[in-house]
Amino acid sequence: MRAGWLRALLVVLGVAALFAIPRVTGNEYVLALGVSFATFSVLSGGLNLVYGYTGLLSFAQVGFFGIGGYTAALLVTEQGWSLGTAAAAGGVLAALVGLVIGYSSLRLSRHAFAIVSLSFALLCLLVALEWVSLTRGAMGIPGLPIPTVSLPGGLRWRLGRPADFYYLLLGFAVVAHAVIYLVVTSRLGRAMRAIKLNEPLAQSQGVNPLSYKLLAIALSALLAGMVGGLFVFYLTIVDPSIFDFYYTETMLIMVIIGGPGSFWGVLGSSAALAALPDLLRFTTDLRMVLYGAVLIAAMLLFPGGVGGWLQRRRLARWRRPGVMAR
Amino acid sequence: MTAALLQVRGLTKRYLGLTAVDDVSYEVEAGTVVGLIGPNGSGKSTIVDCISGFQPADGGRWFLDGHELTGLSPHRVARAGMTRTFQTVRAYDELTLLDNLCVAAQESDGVGWLQALGRGPRLRGAEAAAEARGRNLLATVGLAEYAGAPAGILSYGQRKLLTIAASMMARPRLVVLDEPVAGVNPTMIRRIEQVIHQLNAEGVTLLIVEHNVDFIMSLCRRVIVLEAGRTIADGAPAMIRSDPRVLAAYLGQRGAAELGHGRR
Repeated sequence: MRAGWLRALLVVLGVAALFAIPRVTGNEYVLALGVSFATFSVLSGGLNLVYGYTGLLSFAQVGFFGIGGYTAALLVTEQGWSLGTAAAAGGVLAALVGLVIGYSSLRLSRHAFAIVSLSFALLCLLVALEWVSLTRGAMGIPGLPIPTVSLPGGLRWRLGRPADFYYLLLGFAVVAHAVIYLVVTSRLGRAMRAIKLNEPLAQSQGVNPLSYKLLAIALSALLAGMVGGLFVFYLTIVDPSIFDFYYTETMLIMVIIGGPGSFWGVLGSSAALAALPDLLRFTTDLRMVLYGAVLIAAMLLFPGGVGGWLQRRRLARWRRPGVMAR
Repeated sequence: MTAALLQVRGLTKRYLGLTAVDDVSYEVEAGTVVGLIGPNGSGKSTIVDCISGFQPADGGRWFLDGHELTGLSPHRVARAGMTRTFQTVRAYDELTLLDNLCVAAQESDGVGWLQALGRGPRLRGAEAAAEARGRNLLATVGLAEYAGAPAGILSYGQRKLLTIAASMMARPRLVVLDEPVAGVNPTMIRRIEQVIHQLNAEGVTLLIVEHNVDFIMSLCRRVIVLEAGRTIADGAPAMIRSDPRVLAAYLGQRGAAELGHGRR
């Protein structure tokens, strides 16, 4: 119990420290890194729910991210919606799309889902490029307006400064991770892990794998769509590059290095890997070479990610001589 | 006479040209321990896979306590009150023993997803009950001291015991054990036998599929023998032991004939 309180205290202090950063430094570069961390951590957290906890390799996250971005941008610029409702609508649309591709492919196998999710992400890119009357093709939708968010108590918050987007995305990330944490630490998360570890056994115990898989996909799509809807207003543009494979690659690396199925591991690796390419900026020529070297070293040291390493240490404690003595 | 707990009628399963299970019918009375034996490839495991919903059957119907289970998916069969174990030992290696058991109870306690997320009194009550039952079952199978350890540390035989305990968690009407003692050492076999007796004494009905004939003969008062997808004998162990068709199935025609003439 005491460890639980200590952890809660650390989390509160950590979040407070992150929110205090703009007061300490007005450095836009630091804030940009913070925005990038907040955005990527939501994407990798959702992927961790689907892949790390439920065992479904998915390439669809970037598709949900972009669908949310496009939906929010179009609803704000063409329908005059507010940012909050537009981003929420983007998330809901992404979740519905996730349910459709999940339901149709998971009836076959989890491999079918991996392939369909990859095709879906590529299809999103194609649609964004070709459906010019809706998405304006390769040009995208530039010049997204500075949004205003209505706050409780009739206050209106105009997101004019870089720090405003930092607060907005960090705040959303905190909520998103709280939701993910609530799910993975509940018995729903336990059932998801059971499905990943041994699906036939889970079925034989009355667990319906399809419903838990769809829950994981829909929730991760909802969060990815919403963060996409917010993130494009920070960029002030949404174009087909939002479906770039770079996002998929980064999310996957974050989950794999952090340890699939480890909430804190993936959150930590999201922070480290969001900052790493920029920390290596001191050497322009070797930057990506060093980035690659760090990834290789991480895989050699932590084959199961940081979370997997912790899990193995837990196992080793039980295997110590004496503990298992009858 | 009341209807049997499990009724299987005309179960048939074909793989391409091969008929693995050919029009098999049997019943399991409530409160009994019934053995299902037969040589390799006689269709034992196929029967278990079909009635538990893991493989679609090509014919036949089956009922648990009068409710039809034909064609239900595995999780629905389990929720209807029939659980099973697997030949290849299955456990959630990364979860603790207690969590391994609690997962097996959580779909049948009527607590919904939102209640599970809200962590209200209903959920806490259900989880506390599952935990208590889990600890009891771990004590029954002799694994109580490892309740908080991940299942990955268990030996092969201990894992078999864990899966038997898990199959009991949701208080099923009928449990089908698929080769509970295959590859297990003699000491552990006796342990498993005791566990089965104890669970049966507590009111659980068991259908046991085994390779180990001695184990079945000493454990069950009724044994069903399969050969090439058909039932060739069904009765008490003493009767099975002397049935010429059973001897032929296990020893071959000549071996059975020699045994019959006491020549060896």
